[in-house]
Amino acid sequence: METKSSSSSTNLVDQSVCPGDVILDLSNMTNQTIKLGGGLRQDCDAISVMKAGRLRFSKPNKYWVENSQKRYVPHAEDSVLGIVVDSRSDNFLVDIKGPALAFLPVLAFEGGTRRNIPRFEIGTLIYARVVKANPGMNPELACTDASGKAAEFGALKDGYMFECTTGLSRMLLSSPTCPVLDALGKKLSFEIAVGLNGRVWVSAASPQTTIVVANAIMNSETLSGAQQRIMVEKLLERIH
Amino acid sequence: MEQRLANTWRMPLNDNKFIETALLSDLRVDGRRPSDYRKLTIKLAKQDGSAEVHLGQTHVITFVTAQLVRPYRDRPNEGSLSIFTEFSLMADPSFEPGRPTDAAVELGRVVDRGLRESRAIDTESLCVLSGKLVWAIRVDIHILDNAGNLVDAANIAALVSLLTFRRPECSLTGEDGQDVVVHPPEERDPIPLIIHHLPIAVTFGFFSNENLLVIDPTHHEECVMTGRMTATLNSNGDVCAIQKPGGESVSQSVIMHCLKLAHVKATDITTKIKDAVEIHNNERMLRKIKRHSSSAAVDVCGATAGFGGKQNPLDGDDLECRATPSGQQHSKDGASKNFTGGPSSWYDTS
Repeated sequence: METKSSSSSTNLVDQSVCPGDVILDLSNMTNQTIKLGGGLRQDCDAISVMKAGRLRFSKPNKYWVENSQKRYVPHAEDSVLGIVVDSRSDNFLVDIKGPALAFLPVLAFEGGTRRNIPRFEIGTLIYARVVKANPGMNPELACTDASGKAAEFGALKDGYMFECTTGLSRMLLSSPTCPVLDALGKKLSFEIAVGLNGRVWVSAASPQTTIVVANAIMNSETLSGAQQRIMVEKLLERIH
Repeated sequence: MEQRLANTWRMPLNDNKFIETALLSDLRVDGRRPSDYRKLTIKLAKQDGSAEVHLGQTHVITFVTAQLVRPYRDRPNEGSLSIFTEFSLMADPSFEPGRPTDAAVELGRVVDRGLRESRAIDTESLCVLSGKLVWAIRVDIHILDNAGNLVDAANIAALVSLLTFRRPECSLTGEDGQDVVVHPPEERDPIPLIIHHLPIAVTFGFFSNENLLVIDPTHHEECVMTGRMTATLNSNGDVCAIQKPGGESVSQSVIMHCLKLAHVKATDITTKIKDAVEIHNNERMLRKIKRHSSSAAVDVCGATAGFGGKQNPLDGDDLECRATPSGQQHSKDGASKNFTGGPSSWYDTS
């Protein structure tokens, strides 16, 4: 969705917004392109909000609404963790916590041909990328990056997956590294995969480490950066 | 069909495997040891006969109500106790509207059996007029969030609400003593039920590996485990009921071990329940005490302690106090503790 406009300043950036709020009036903006992300839509000359959350702006021209919820609304180019529900002749059906199951075409793997179709048991955990997310259609996934390389995508072996809110998974993926992951990473070694759909997979050599990491992450949702570090230190003291 | 697939909660195979391997080294995914219970929080509303129980993330609310009915023919002197369960659709994606599922029926039955067949509640004291009128006690259990082990949470909630429930007092009048008068709570203090002991349900989960055993399984563990057993015991160690719905077979020694564990947990939980109920009863008493306006002034503004018998700007504090939410109430109640056991004329009759 692109619109021509000028002077794209709005005083609602980083504020809480509610459905129906008008954040931009396009009538006095000309000759500028703005890009709208999730939670916003265009009604003629007005850009209005569709979901409650915090309005974000990224230079030069991107706007979107961020919130935290337990259900995921698929969005193209998000990396997600899905669970295989069923396999059909040309698609795997994958649960990504969205309103509809996602399709993962059997050919959407690196070097995928009709001859080497991967086999996934029902219940396999898959790290994938959302390719298409059109309203009214099942979203489509792929286990390759945009250039067709496998790039870490694919089935995840062992480890432990837990569910969290979409807000927490976004926090874990933010840069600079989220304090809880930073503090844990200094003392423990573990692998982690964060899906924007509110699923996190953790794998470590010993089950104890996995459990500590998983619980530290789950506890960190409502804590500030300093509190997260203190919480991690306390947890680590207990296990050593 | 696809829509239906999308609406169920599911667990990846990784978790199934991880839960079992972690248990082999005595670890559980929420950081507990196999014989640890989750954190139990009991909240009591001001209103009698309702309780809210959190067991970890599991959330249950119960209400108790009573009605005067005609007794069963074969038991003219006994009141009745019935348990109803209601599964909120928000509690779990697998709960569907319409007919109660097997799980809902089983939950009600297990709680019912623990309470009724152990004769924990004295039903004969519920009789008002033999063969004509008895009290029928109804317990409604609402499951608001399912994070595993609903039976234990529902059982605790049912017990707490029965402990705090009070039924109106009745008396017989008329020439032949056959007319029943139900006294409203303002006139005569409602009376609590007679409860002989507290049967506490403790649930165990068994896994395909025979030596693995967990107490108070979470939702995730419930998906993995192959057998479960609910033992209902009271704090004296009397076994009131055992429910073992199919699944993995369990040897006798394991059951005996479970019962020992259950006894310890039942004692802990009983203490918690009693504490919660005592606090509730104390608050209830305090709410009834009419405060002298002068002392209320001292309580509220501690700095003006010498204010004494002067005219009180906070007259009618008693009424205001009742309308405030419980959080605010606490501080005032705490300050007015010294008024417990005052003369009975202080009881509010309004």
